[in-house]
Amino acid sequence: MNGGARYYFRLNLYHRILHGMVIVSFLGLAVTGLPLKYSQTGWGWWLSHLLGGPFTTGYLHRFFAIVTFCYFALHLGYVARLILTGRRGVFWGPASMVPQPRDFVQLAQHVRYFLGLGPRPRFDRWAYWEKFDYWAVFWGVAVIGASGLLLWFPTFFARYLPGWIFNVAILIHSDEALLAVAFIFTIHFFNVHLRPEKFPMDPVIFTGRLEEEEFRREHAAEYERLRAEGRLETLRADPPPRWMRNFSRVAGFTALAIGIILIWLIVATALR
Amino acid sequence: MKRGAPAPGRSLSLFVDEAAAKASVHARLECVACHKTASAPHDAPLPAVRCAECHAKARGALSEGVHGSAKARAPTCAGCHGTHAVASAASLGIETCAACHARQVTLYRESIHARSRQRGDSQAATCRSCHGEAHALLAKTDARAPTYHLNLPRTCAQCHADPELAKRYNIPIGNVYQLYMDSIHGRALTRSGLLVAANCSDCHGAHEIKPRAEPASRVFRANVPKTCGACHAGILAAYAESVHGTHVAKGNLKAPVCTDCHSAHQIRRVEGAPWQLEAIRECGTCHEESLKTYRDTFHGKVTALGYTRVAKCSDCHGAHTILPPSDPRSTVSPAKLVATCRQCHPQAMAAFAEFHPHADYRNKERFPRLYYTYLFMSGLLVAVLASFGLHALLWLPRSLLERLRRGRAGGDTRGEP
Repeated sequence: MNGGARYYFRLNLYHRILHGMVIVSFLGLAVTGLPLKYSQTGWGWWLSHLLGGPFTTGYLHRFFAIVTFCYFALHLGYVARLILTGRRGVFWGPASMVPQPRDFVQLAQHVRYFLGLGPRPRFDRWAYWEKFDYWAVFWGVAVIGASGLLLWFPTFFARYLPGWIFNVAILIHSDEALLAVAFIFTIHFFNVHLRPEKFPMDPVIFTGRLEEEEFRREHAAEYERLRAEGRLETLRADPPPRWMRNFSRVAGFTALAIGIILIWLIVATALR
Repeated sequence: MKRGAPAPGRSLSLFVDEAAAKASVHARLECVACHKTASAPHDAPLPAVRCAECHAKARGALSEGVHGSAKARAPTCAGCHGTHAVASAASLGIETCAACHARQVTLYRESIHARSRQRGDSQAATCRSCHGEAHALLAKTDARAPTYHLNLPRTCAQCHADPELAKRYNIPIGNVYQLYMDSIHGRALTRSGLLVAANCSDCHGAHEIKPRAEPASRVFRANVPKTCGACHAGILAAYAESVHGTHVAKGNLKAPVCTDCHSAHQIRRVEGAPWQLEAIRECGTCHEESLKTYRDTFHGKVTALGYTRVAKCSDCHGAHTILPPSDPRSTVSPAKLVATCRQCHPQAMAAFAEFHPHADYRNKERFPRLYYTYLFMSGLLVAVLASFGLHALLWLPRSLLERLRRGRAGGDTRGEP
């Protein structure tokens, strides 16, 4: 380790626990859902039987769905608490998750930077692709969750809804899940972990701590803003302890490996 | 002068054809060898010749079998072998048997076995091949008889368990005996000794066996329901009413008969998962589109994974009673659909049954909602992955440069030591 490096908190414990729930439930849902979607492939059959067959897999899938609904509710509660305690800038401003004109400008600047036509944009707390990831999960949980609930309790919902809705729900649940899996296991993995600057993984989601050097590089606007406001030092963190770094590696590489294997199977099936 | 076989009530010629006697297998015997008490000339009719004095073995064998029984119609030695023109056992053919068993031999002459022999195939079955040696021959009611109900499969297997034979005669199934023995019929026969379990002849006939391609064959496609229905009468009655049964009756040989789903020699218990899963694929050989859309649903995916605890074709459509939805008796007719769903989904209501288990999202005309949903979802998938994929591709070289530049500057202080 670089002994002199200074660390700052980027994510608090609540953020990290919730994202841990996202990782576990998302991987769980993917591993238990894909064998049914790909029931006609050899690996689908194999994976389904490894997990105890489609009915056991179904119970596991619903368990992870409950975890998903929990973190969704916990997050909404967190946002509500921020608002109730008078936190400003939740829905607008430099630290907000809400897309703003600046994000589109920075997207254009970023592409210019890719092409060597300009400097790297100075991102604030959330870069535009991070906001996209956030809203993608938000949309995904709502869409997949709602269609999944319909399919979980079909006779209940059939009292209030027409029967064709289940045909649509099957299609949406399956296709939206494919989009989610494909997006997370390729785009999210690349943007956050696998791009050369971060390769092989960014442990910040487990440690919550960001090194000053990286903070200044990746979130320059936020760093400057916090320093100007005098709040930077309140975020000072101790370096991540060894157990935390080890845990990050084990958990992170496991999640990456599962995701990459699954996306490889999906792509191989599509190309066959 | 014509010599006929002696029979009770018929007068015999006293004339002895010396040439015939000299040409017979007894040519070297003197008259008195058989007619021991005879003197020439003699007035009284000679007492019956006792063949057993020389042929003790044949006597012994006869006493075991039905031909030697005390029944009035049992044949005498001369009845089969002749008198003075006594012929060797090997030279006796089906005509000899026909003297008493005319109906069976007539049927046999039309069979594939007889026709093979006519074509010069000496291996094809004749009377003795199945019934055994003539002297010790046992009635098929005798549990020791090769034609006894429980023994017949092994008898047929003498020839039909040989894959080489099947190849030689273009018989499509080479391992028919093994398949039959593992089938529900074969097991009922061999393990339970059930006399009502079908053996070979129950389906193929006995003397009249014909290849299945011949319309007169009991196993010809159009005749299969009747053949199976000989035992499974209740099923036949239901099947005859069904859309498949009526089509076969009208002469449509593409419509399924019993053996298409149940097979001929591999018939299994319908409760078993392997058969149930195979039946789904069998339906799909004709109802290709329906199988494809079935596989899009939870039901179809679970069965594809080898589990049967969900709806299979017959759970909704029925098996032998299958009828089109337009028929009010059909289990998938609008009036009965909810009741059909309720077999598994007891809470099902009318709206629940509006779910279309064979919806096809590729079919814009019939399922516009699904089609446009599919179009939107696919468009979203392609748009998101393409734009972010391009984004990643552009970012990759830039990010690589960045890392290399930092590495050279010795400023790489990221997490890893």
